Amino acid sequence: MASVKLTNVKKVYDNHVTAVHDFNLDIADKEFIVFVGPSGCGKSTTLRMIAGLEEISGGTIEIDGEVVNDLQPKDRNIAMVFQNYALYPHMTVYDNIAFSLRLKKMPEDEVYERVTKAAEILGITEYLLRKPRALSGGQRQRVAIGRAMVRDSKVFLMDEPLSNLDAKLRNQMRAEIILLRQKLDTTFIYVTHDQTEAMTLGDRIVIMKDGYIQQVGTPTEVFDMPKNLFVAEFIGAPKMNIMDTKLFKEGGNYYVKPFGVKIPVDGEKGEALKSRGVSEQEIKLGVRPEHMSLFFEDGENRIPCTLEVNEMMGSELHLHVLAPDGTSLIIRVPTINLSTAQKKQIKNGARLYVGFTGQVMHFFDRKENNNLLV
Amino acid sequence: MSELNQAGNSKKHMGLKAKQRLSNSLVYVMLVIISIVWLIPFVCIVLQSFRMESTGRVGYVIPQVWGLGNYTRLLETNFPRWYLNTLIIALVVAILQTIIVLCMSYTLSRFRFKIRKGLMQFMLILGMFPGILGMIILYRVLDDLGLTGLHAVPGLILVSVASSGMGYYVSKGFFDTIPKSLDEAARVDGANRMQVLNKIILPLSKPIVIYTVLTGFMGPWADFVFARYISQLKPLGMNVAVGLQSWLATDTMVHDNYTLFCAGGVVVALPVAILFMCLQKYYVEGVTGGAVKG
Repeated sequence: MASVKLTNVKKVYDNHVTAVHDFNLDIADKEFIVFVGPSGCGKSTTLRMIAGLEEISGGTIEIDGEVVNDLQPKDRNIAMVFQNYALYPHMTVYDNIAFSLRLKKMPEDEVYERVTKAAEILGITEYLLRKPRALSGGQRQRVAIGRAMVRDSKVFLMDEPLSNLDAKLRNQMRAEIILLRQKLDTTFIYVTHDQTEAMTLGDRIVIMKDGYIQQVGTPTEVFDMPKNLFVAEFIGAPKMNIMDTKLFKEGGNYYVKPFGVKIPVDGEKGEALKSRGVSEQEIKLGVRPEHMSLFFEDGENRIPCTLEVNEMMGSELHLHVLAPDGTSLIIRVPTINLSTAQKKQIKNGARLYVGFTGQVMHFFDRKENNNLLV
Repeated sequence: MSELNQAGNSKKHMGLKAKQRLSNSLVYVMLVIISIVWLIPFVCIVLQSFRMESTGRVGYVIPQVWGLGNYTRLLETNFPRWYLNTLIIALVVAILQTIIVLCMSYTLSRFRFKIRKGLMQFMLILGMFPGILGMIILYRVLDDLGLTGLHAVPGLILVSVASSGMGYYVSKGFFDTIPKSLDEAARVDGANRMQVLNKIILPLSKPIVIYTVLTGFMGPWADFVFARYISQLKPLGMNVAVGLQSWLATDTMVHDNYTLFCAGGVVVALPVAILFMCLQKYYVEGVTGGAVKG
């Protein structure tokens, strides 16, 4: 258990490519933090610098108040789970888990106790005498977690541990990691490119792009108040709809006019714009697919659209529609709200109407793509 | 109709089977011929070594009088000394060369340092020159160190071990196929680099370790040119190859020593043959393993 502090951490490779720029982050003791971002954003590199597997080009990394920049991985008291499990193929599951304990010259009966206890928690007791190649993907991942668990390390690092598993197993293991976290009660740093994993696991999420931190916040914060357009589009599935429009004032109230349809910015968002005195300007308007409503008849503040693709997801429909100017929008519609007649109406080429309120709008300036309200 | 089809299918099937059998037989015939050609010299030598009626070269292969006399005569010559010399050189070189080659390969496979690429290219180019080119200068150096003639054994060990780092290619290729994340996992688990090599990489590289030991042993065991030059034909500094050849230096000597030479040849070949038979499975894996292991 320990806090981790990264100050101005930088990674420049020999070919002068900068993978991580000025990374500053305080991770509290026992916090579960998730680094998330697209491939090449520097999240794994940052994790590997914390682990000591990658040299630090600048800045300092502290674990529990001690600067660890020049310490070997073995001296940092960390545990790590790798994407490809990295189990030692020539050792049995038992020996794999016991490896680190034996390196510490721990008495064999204590090793036995710890390994069997970890195996019990992870449900792999019956496989202890097998070699890794005789295990399935999920079992291998459990062994990898077990190997990290037995060490009582200060920080638990996980580098995309679920991305080699199939979708069903991934959901199951995600739930198990949440349970494991409750049992271990230690500091976790978790790297993933999957925003669902980030949202469900993290106490806080660090969203990265091109080596820069875009936003650090709780899942609710980054979902409700994305700092910029990148975060807005990265978090949430399907991604947020973005419309070019103008934000303007009439009679003291704010309005937007996407596709020529004038919609008032009411509710909290309208108040926030007023209190900040945001000026009239060209903006990018963001609305999440689940916050858009579907109508079958024209009405006030509704945008007429043409249905292009209909994805049936089971409990909901993802409708890809074309707005009047050809912009593609996605709407999530729970099927439970639709009558049989309405379901029949939803077919490619159908005319549909989309509406949303001011409460669900996100406003980004055109130049910097920053959220006007954050 | 379906019966007709079935008949047609089985006919086709038979055709395929027959073809397969024919091509297999051809392959086996070829292999048997190659084996016979390859074995003839060896069989001749073995048979000659048991010939008791005469000691020189003769025009027939099967001895008229059989016996072990040539083998017992070996013990009365310098042969045991040469055998011991060769064994010492081969064992020491095999051990030291294996350690050096494996450390070198691991370093070049896993560490990234400034001169790594340059060093590898330099060694590649250096390896293109025949080693024989350096023989004279090596002799001068060893002579200055007093490691020629009677003291050729340490000299030969030094020459073989000193250049062994350059034979890193095969094992580096093999190490490259072992995922780096295994090293990383072990390092996070608390291992230092030496422990990673000993506990993770080497157990996974058994074929290549055996291959390295075997080649390290075989080089000096069969060495002739260097050994002859450095030993300067001093009887106590020679290895078996040079010693055996010295028995056949003139026609009179051939007449006296030919069967003795054959017996010596068999004794020299035996340990190597046994070693190969026991380890051939690993040897083949070692040579080809690095290439196909994904």
